[in-house]
Formats: sequence, structure tokens, C-alpha cells
Amino acid sequence: MKTNAIEIRNLEFDYGEKKVLKKLEVSFCADKFSVLLGINGGGKSTLFKIVAGLLKNYTGEIALFGKDMTTIDFRARAPLIGFLPQFNQSVFSFTVEDVLLTGRTAFSGFSIKESDRALAQVIMEDLSITHLKDKAINLLSGGEQQIVMIGRLLMQGPKILLLDEPTNHLDVYYQHYLMEKLKKYAINGFTVIAIMHNPTLAFQYADHFYYLHDGHIHTAVNPSIPDIELLEAVYNMSFVEVEKNGKSFILPFGEQV
Amino acid sequence: MKPYISRLICYGLPLPVFLISLFIGTSKYIDVMDYLGLFYKHNIGEVLTKQELLSFDIYSNVLWNIRLPRILLTFMVGAALSVSGAVLQGIFRNPLVDSYILGISSGAAFGASLAILYSLSFVNIYAFVGGIIAVVITYVIASSNKQLSTITVILSGMIVSGVFIALLTMVQYISNPYKLQTIIQWTMGNLHSASWAEVKQAVLPITLTVCCSFLYRWRLNLLALGDDATHAVGVNPLPDKIVLITCATLMTTTTVAVAGIISFYGLFLPHIVRMLLGADNSKSIPGNIVLGGTFLLIIDSLSRTLFVFEIPIGVFTTILGGGFFVFLLKKNKINWN
Repeated sequence: MKTNAIEIRNLEFDYGEKKVLKKLEVSFCADKFSVLLGINGGGKSTLFKIVAGLLKNYTGEIALFGKDMTTIDFRARAPLIGFLPQFNQSVFSFTVEDVLLTGRTAFSGFSIKESDRALAQVIMEDLSITHLKDKAINLLSGGEQQIVMIGRLLMQGPKILLLDEPTNHLDVYYQHYLMEKLKKYAINGFTVIAIMHNPTLAFQYADHFYYLHDGHIHTAVNPSIPDIELLEAVYNMSFVEVEKNGKSFILPFGEQV
Repeated sequence: MKPYISRLICYGLPLPVFLISLFIGTSKYIDVMDYLGLFYKHNIGEVLTKQELLSFDIYSNVLWNIRLPRILLTFMVGAALSVSGAVLQGIFRNPLVDSYILGISSGAAFGASLAILYSLSFVNIYAFVGGIIAVVITYVIASSNKQLSTITVILSGMIVSGVFIALLTMVQYISNPYKLQTIIQWTMGNLHSASWAEVKQAVLPITLTVCCSFLYRWRLNLLALGDDATHAVGVNPLPDKIVLITCATLMTTTTVAVAGIISFYGLFLPHIVRMLLGADNSKSIPGNIVLGGTFLLIIDSLSRTLFVFEIPIGVFTTILGGGFFVFLLKKNKINWN
């Protein structure tokens, strides 16, 4: 059997009184595009922050590619896992290229190498943002900034990409553009795991689906098939499956179940 | 502005400013052509008349023992203040801070006064400890609020600074007159008492910390994007922050020890450099070293030639910086939450 990219056992976490994650168990497959769904404030971001190493005081075991996370130090973690936090405004007017290059800090020590600049060029071309190279990041639109931050993550080149609401701030065109990209990254050997708030969009592109509800993660028997019943239980509203041109779409219906 | 013009301003200015500063001042004895003529004569081995020899000695004395140490000291102080300002603005992700606003200068002054009160040696070490304690307290108060907002950082700095000034006043109050005089001399140092002794005292700590900040210049870009963005790419920000805050504090304490508290200079100079060279710290840190030194030299030269009496340089920087601070407040549309 293939090792899972992330394996979580018995994970518990609380913010003081509020228990957010309760004996959570989940494993994410390598080389797949997985999506984590769930209501606001349900603990999705918390889970990502724990796995990315930003929150420490949890109990339970987490393994990255079969290796216990507590034995992996910062430097060794950089090529394994990269994290896109929910967006944070930059105070200074760094250029897009400057921001992309910061993604190499774990590897390049005190100064950038020529190969880093070349990599930045390749990534800007891949994301079609070459024309923004010398623009100041804080003057770009929210969507453009988001694309740049994803580019920065790719500069780091980690095997696992953890994305907290990557389609946030993006218009419809860019949402689909980005999902297409993420799907391609999964095919090219990245493990992509994203928190999303749009089930319709998620089911069009992703491979596996996970539902965080009441501190636990639920999956359908076959995680690659949308499970309407689960979805309805998680969001406490009804969903319908619509077929059009041989494709099926999951749409939120709105009424309470 | 064209990039090469900006670079010319930054890197072409120091030499002329340096030379001009050397030959202007309140002393009426120095005439550049005269001195160069005598210098030339003296060096080709021609015998000088008694009168010529006398004025040559005076010239040399003024130049080498009064002006040169002052110029070197001013340059070092300016470079240290503006590099420390740039570093602190990056780490606190806040364009409105410098070592003065964060309370480092006041903490240092209090540390020094305490050492003088108890007749301890190595006053500068206590000043450094005072500065570190002040900046750590500011950081802790500001970050207890989950996110470092621009305003909470400034407010915490003001509070910490105020408390340390109060403590300093208390120490001054209970000191005997001799110690009081020493304390006041320490905290109100001024560039016009500059001598080779001060240059010697400052050169090692300032060179060391400026070089260290120069080494970390590129990593500062990452730190300036925030803790989450730093963790996200697999880097622990803490060691870098400790090194850089230590450097900024040591720079500040050293400048306070040799030249007194010079407020706001470290706030506005990094902005001028950013306007000229861009936000990328790998370009702007060297810019801060060179232009920071040069610009303070210009201010100092003005302060000793414009008026019949010398005005402490801190007065000029506060007036310039105060106006600039208001301009930045408006420009940045500060977030209040």
C-alpha cells in the first residue's frame, strides 16, 4: 500500500474552553487533490495550522509520509509541506518578484541564487503573472495577490500544498483557472489539500472530499464521490445534483433539511 | 525617478558631503586653498616659514582632532540609527516605528543611569540591557493582542518609553549632584563633544551590528511579511528576530552613549531610502548605511554653520521627523483595530 501524505491519529485541540478538534482521525492520500469542507469556525483552519506547524499545543499523532512530525525540524519540513495562510496584507511595497523569492528562504540562507530568480521566472510564466513582476504587491487586486502568494508557495516546492481557502478573493474566472492549476499540480506529483467554501466548485475539480463536522472528519465510503447526505448533514441545508452535458454538478438548494 | 539617479544620490553623495563637512565650520582659521597649499609645500619637503608652520599646525589640529572624529562619529551614528530603524520597521511590520518610539532609547538611558547611580563599571552594558528589556516589553504588550496592529505597537512603545523616562527621572532625583551630572552627560550626549575617544568607543559595536544586519538583509524581506508567512515557507522567525533585535538595540544604545538620544531619525530615513531604492531590503539596507550616515552629516553640518551657536542635532531630527510622521500617518491610512 502507498504511504499516505498525511496521517492523523487521535488529534485533539482546544482554544481554552472551546474544544475544536475531538479525537480526529484522517489520512490524506499522496498525489491527489483533496478538499476539506465544513462550516465556518468548525476548525478547518486550526487543523491546517497544526499540520503546517504553526500551532503546537495539540495532543495526538501526525505523520508526514509516514514520518512522525515531531521529529521533523523546520528546515526538513520546508521541502515536505507548504502552507498558504488566509491572506494577510503586506505593509511594505515589495515587488512581486521580491515576494516570490522569499519562498526560497528555507534553502537559500542569506542571499538569493541566480537559480532562484530563474525559478521565479518559470513560476510567473506558469501562473501568467510575468507582467506583474516589478509591480508592488500591495497595489495589486486581491485575486492577483492570492495568485502571487500561491506562486510563493510553489517557489518553496513542497510535496504537500496546504491551501486555506485558495479561491478566496478570486473572481469566477480565476476560481476555475486556479482549480484547473491545482488539479494539474496533483497530476504532476504534488499532494494538494485545500479548504473550500464552495462545494459546487470543489466537486468539479477535486479528487477526494473530506467533511469536518463537530470536531471529527467524515468521509464517504468512496471519498471520490460526492456524498449529498453527508453534505446536507454538515451544512444543515439541502443540496441537489444536476446533470448537464453529461457532467454532474452539486448545487446548494438553500432550504433547511 | 530613474533608478540610476536614485543610486547616484545614494552612493555618489557621501564623498562630496564628507569633504565639504571637513572644510566648513565655525572656526574661521580654515581656508581650504591655504591648507592644501601648505600641505603640498610641507609634503614636497619645502621649508615652511615660522608663521606658515604655526597656521599649518592649527589647521591640522582642527581638521584631524576636531572635525574628522566628529564627521566619522556622525556618519556612524546616522548609519546605525537608520539601519536600526529599517530593521525594526521590518520586524514589527510597521512603517511608523524606530528605536525611539519602541522605547529602546529610554530603556537604555535608564539602564545607564542605574549603573551610574550604583557606581558600576561598563555603563554601556547596562544601557544595552535596559534597551533590550524595553523592546521586549513593548513586543510582548503589543503581541498579546493576537495580531500586531500598527497602533498597538506604537501605543505600547509610548507607554514603555514613558515608564522608563519616569524611572530615569526618579534615579536622577535620588542621585547625588556628581552622579547626576554624569547621568545627564550620558543621556544628553551631543555630537559637538565628539573626539577620537568616542569614535573608538562606537566603532566596534556599530561596525559589528551594521555588518550583521547587512548579512540578514534579504531574510528581513521574509520577516516583514509576518510570522504566518514565515512559518508557511518552513522558516522559524524567532532566531532571526532575536539576532536582528539585538543588533538594533546595540546600535541604538551605542548611539545614545556617544551622541545622546536622537529621536525620529531612524523613522524617516528608511522611508527616504525606500522611496529611492524600493522596499526590497537587500537593496535598502546598504542604502540605509550609506545615506543614513550621509544625511545626518548634512544635518549636522547645517546645524553647526547656520547659527552662531550650535543647536543639538536631536532638535533638528525631531522637527524634520515630526512633520514626516504626520505625513506618513495620512499616507498609510493607519488601521486602528
